[in-house]
Amino acid sequence: MSEAYFPVGPGLGLEENFLSLDDILMSQEKLPGRAESTLPRLAFALGQGAGTGDAIPEGSKLEIPLWLAKGLHDSKRRIISVELPKIYKEAWRTVFSADANVVDLHKMGPYYYGFGSQLLNFDNPENPEIAQTILQTFISRFRRIMDSSQNAYNEDTSALVARLDELERALFRAGQKGLNDFQCWEKGQASQITASSLVQNYGKRKFTDMDG
Amino acid sequence: GDLGPFNPGLPVEVPVWLAINLKQRQKCRLIPPEWMDVEKLGEIRDQERKEDTFTLMPSPYYMELTKLLLNYASDNIPKADEIRTLVKDTWDTRIAKLRLSADSFVRQQEAHAKLDNLTLMEINTTGAFLTQALDHMYKLRTNLQPGESAHSQDF
Repeated sequence: MSEAYFPVGPGLGLEENFLSLDDILMSQEKLPGRAESTLPRLAFALGQGAGTGDAIPEGSKLEIPLWLAKGLHDSKRRIISVELPKIYKEAWRTVFSADANVVDLHKMGPYYYGFGSQLLNFDNPENPEIAQTILQTFISRFRRIMDSSQNAYNEDTSALVARLDELERALFRAGQKGLNDFQCWEKGQASQITASSLVQNYGKRKFTDMDG
Repeated sequence: GDLGPFNPGLPVEVPVWLAINLKQRQKCRLIPPEWMDVEKLGEIRDQERKEDTFTLMPSPYYMELTKLLLNYASDNIPKADEIRTLVKDTWDTRIAKLRLSADSFVRQQEAHAKLDNLTLMEINTTGAFLTQALDHMYKLRTNLQPGESAHSQDF
């Protein structure tokens, strides 16, 4: 089944892929921001007041999803201004440059790379440093991902992938697939024809249906 | 191409698929290739360990041939077990080397590499992973240069 199914992958650049489920989930993540002008009748929608007619006063702090922040953001800062989440700020950037391998990127935000790349849209003066840190983080974590994905054959990998970000997990799966396919071939399993997992599950379900 | 003529007791060259089929029907005996020999494979393995780059393998499909011949015709191959171990050692050495070079390749942010003596089987087991990783790295690197694409967002 998986060979004939081609999901739209994440974009990872400055632009997301419109139909990528990963990118849609990624752009749901909240971003700290501040209202630069009064936003009438939006207090309820943004979770700041009870009444539907309330306005958001100028200067109030907001937590907005990335997609909305991107839509409202303007280089002239008329509607909202956006702050960096703390893991992309200098303090964490120093941590990343010290040893990126010890950081739990899944907890930090499961879309560290994608979200960070999207943050560059907000014309932050620290943009070059952010982009550089994201790249360096990927480079220094590359070896670990490669080694663990290609060594762990038939093992429970949940401990290994628990600290990986979504992008790294996809990469890990690609490495595992290469290894597993090769090992299957070596053991001669590839030459045996087995029923598709879909058919097997179908059979099981029918059986339980008859029981009930 | 044309095959044969087939005469009992005389050596003849055929594709591997036919050789294995005939072997399974007990119509022939397979002769191992010249390089499939404990001494030669030992030399190859030592050479592989000594050099930093990949050395030339005796056959572009050494892994495939070893596996097929040992699985279906191990009775025709002298010291089959030793050969299996030697080839596996060589494979492991080469894969470890491949990982090491991939890591330094990524670290130095290179954009191209030359891997002349890798065999297809080796390329294929890590290929998908490696190209995907380099693809990500390329995109993250283009983020460094805010080019014309950065302005397409302006309204």
